[in-house]
Amino acid sequence: MVRRRATFRIGLDVQSIEEVQDSIAEFGDLYTQRVYTPHEIESSAGDLLTRASSLAGRFAAKEAVLKVLDFEDRAPPLKSIEIWRDDSRRPTVRLNGLAAELARQQGIDQISLSFSHSGGVAAAAVVAQISPPSFWTRR
Amino acid sequence: MTDINAAIRQVLEAHGRLGAGFAGLRDDDDLYQKGLSSHASVNVMLGIEDAFGIEIPEALLTRATFRTIDSIRAVVETLGVANE
Repeated sequence: MVRRRATFRIGLDVQSIEEVQDSIAEFGDLYTQRVYTPHEIESSAGDLLTRASSLAGRFAAKEAVLKVLDFEDRAPPLKSIEIWRDDSRRPTVRLNGLAAELARQQGIDQISLSFSHSGGVAAAAVVAQISPPSFWTRR
Repeated sequence: MTDINAAIRQVLEAHGRLGAGFAGLRDDDDLYQKGLSSHASVNVMLGIEDAFGIEIPEALLTRATFRTIDSIRAVVETLGVANE
């Protein structure tokens, strides 16, 4: 008997903080409410630069998650990928709707996330764990 | 007179961040290959909605929608905007 091992996918993305700042200045709530969930907006409160930096990280994280989800032309809505801050301040990924459905179909049962901000850029990396079916396979 | 393609070009110039990719842009050029990023495409979407007074439904918010000027125009027309 062999035990099938979990496999992993890695997603990485970067986002200019200035671009997010410009979008907030240009479109205001139309921008934030179209892209980010209420929790993401609330947890990114602060002055314009603070908000832009925080939201840029979340945007990069959403894009990084999209890179580990296999899909055809129709990408899951950005708001169906939520970046959540729990009490320990460790960011986690919550999927809803089409994003959750794709993850389930592809056997993705855990996504880990890390952020970094430097040089006017926010970066996010995610690791998606794809678990094998929960049974032992005979050879 | 409303020239849909011309209005789309104005939005792309203002929000697409295409840089040198905007020069000589054809209506059927692939905007992603010309440098349109995912984040810029959000701004283009908001700019299109503002320019034409429409709201693009979620079902049409696809990479295909924003792939070319022609594909953006097709969606705008689907939402009731016409050349005058």
